[in-house]
Amino acid sequence: MKINAFLSRFPRRTSWLACALGGAVLASLLRVLQRATAVEGPLDLVVPFAPATVALVCALAIIGAALLILAVTQPINKRPWAKGQAHRWDLVFLDRKDKLYPTLLIAAGFLALAAAPVLFVKGAGQLKLWLDLVGLSSRPSDNGLLALLTAAAALLAFFGLQQMARESFRPGQRGHGGFSASLPAVTGCLWLMEAFRAHASDPVLWDYAPQLLAITVGMLFYLDCAGMTTGAARPRRLLWLAGATIVLSALSAIGCREISDLLLLGTQTLTAAAALWRLPPNLEDPPVVGEPYEPMQEPLQEEESTHE
Amino acid sequence: MDQKHEDRREENPEPLLKKLLAREPSPPAEDAEAGPEEAAGQPGAEARKAATPGRELYSNVRFLATMMATLILVFTFVARIVVISGPSMEDTLHGRDVVLVWTLGYTPKQGDVVVVTQKSFQEDSIIKRVIATGGQTVDIDYDTGTVYVDGEALEENYIKERMLLPGYGEGLNHVTVPEGCCFVMGDNRNNSADSRHPNIGIIDDRCVIGRSMCVLFPVGHIKGL
Repeated sequence: MKINAFLSRFPRRTSWLACALGGAVLASLLRVLQRATAVEGPLDLVVPFAPATVALVCALAIIGAALLILAVTQPINKRPWAKGQAHRWDLVFLDRKDKLYPTLLIAAGFLALAAAPVLFVKGAGQLKLWLDLVGLSSRPSDNGLLALLTAAAALLAFFGLQQMARESFRPGQRGHGGFSASLPAVTGCLWLMEAFRAHASDPVLWDYAPQLLAITVGMLFYLDCAGMTTGAARPRRLLWLAGATIVLSALSAIGCREISDLLLLGTQTLTAAAALWRLPPNLEDPPVVGEPYEPMQEPLQEEESTHE
Repeated sequence: MDQKHEDRREENPEPLLKKLLAREPSPPAEDAEAGPEEAAGQPGAEARKAATPGRELYSNVRFLATMMATLILVFTFVARIVVISGPSMEDTLHGRDVVLVWTLGYTPKQGDVVVVTQKSFQEDSIIKRVIATGGQTVDIDYDTGTVYVDGEALEENYIKERMLLPGYGEGLNHVTVPEGCCFVMGDNRNNSADSRHPNIGIIDDRCVIGRSMCVLFPVGHIKGL
């Protein structure tokens, strides 16, 4: 295949990171251009079919297709990785020498931790206002409970990401890493509901649709990380979701007014970047744990006689 | 050819999209704690793998999360559920009615009940009826309680009671609606902040979230709009 031959000239990790980060920068620049030239009025209503908007949509489609090509051409070595522990997909996150992956995950965890008090203050303020205005027609429809729940989940995400960083140094028991990887996904679920609720009356789709998409792909990315340890591995889809998370997070960060949203977007961006840093080389050349794998000599089978 | 190249070659013949979406095929020895007969690919291995509690839990969680994300994306791009608060659309809609609103590709039309956002008035959205669209002229005669659109009196069998002069004065009562905008009013004319109100005025079509299709709840109020 020609595209495979072309892509094999570059290290996979470089291709993934270049595509995702380059795509993120391009999408962000086009979003800035769109906000500068393709909106009008105090509400930032989008001018229909403005060139910047069309260019942004086309760029997103092209970036998505490029990530798709990288995903389907990603070489995956399916040989058993250790004697007696054959095919543990979760070990694809393992590399004791690489320090960047755990560093990114720890930083992502601390961003989630920083988002928790911001969300808590926001939710508590909304709840207090809602309680103060009971019975009045001017009472806001948002009671802040979703923000409070998201704050609690952000704390869980912190612990989950620290555990994920720890597991990149030592191979735990198979299936155990799924729990820690699913904690940030729980945060994503609640954050998605909170963001949807917060923008329920916003008529400008561009204000919040990229953010909802970013949260959705981020949540699915975390779930795929959890799936790697529970025997439901889909490494190519995981890589695509990681790339899409980076691009959409950068896009939705432009013009984002909530600090908590920015911190959580930063969390999933760092985690996705860490996955793109670690996974492509490890999928191609899996780490060996324990005794090196030696393929069994299969006995030569005699040719079956044909029955006429 | 080394092992890595052999693996690459094996991957190529599969259709690309199928390869991305399909679950990675697992070798017989999927479970780390599997016995030697499973490692050798005995028939019981697949069944035991499927019954792993962790895998089942993961599948259920993933299904729920995917369903939730799908619903939220549908309720963002295609339709929305809105809960009515306030009396401005009585007797067509009542407080706490749950309404399905269609948003995808909607352009306001005269007579539709629409959900709009006008942040100069309030952060939350409001629900009103479209009286006139771009290019039409609206005249309101408070003496007779009649609304004229392009000189013709509207037959409004949906309003709650005869329209009186609002507390804030005549407001916007004679206007030609600019293109790309609409003029909206509540069915409960004497208790409605709508396009006549100085803080609301003419509504840009892009501020219209969607058209109310039907009342979903309570059961006794279910009807099309």
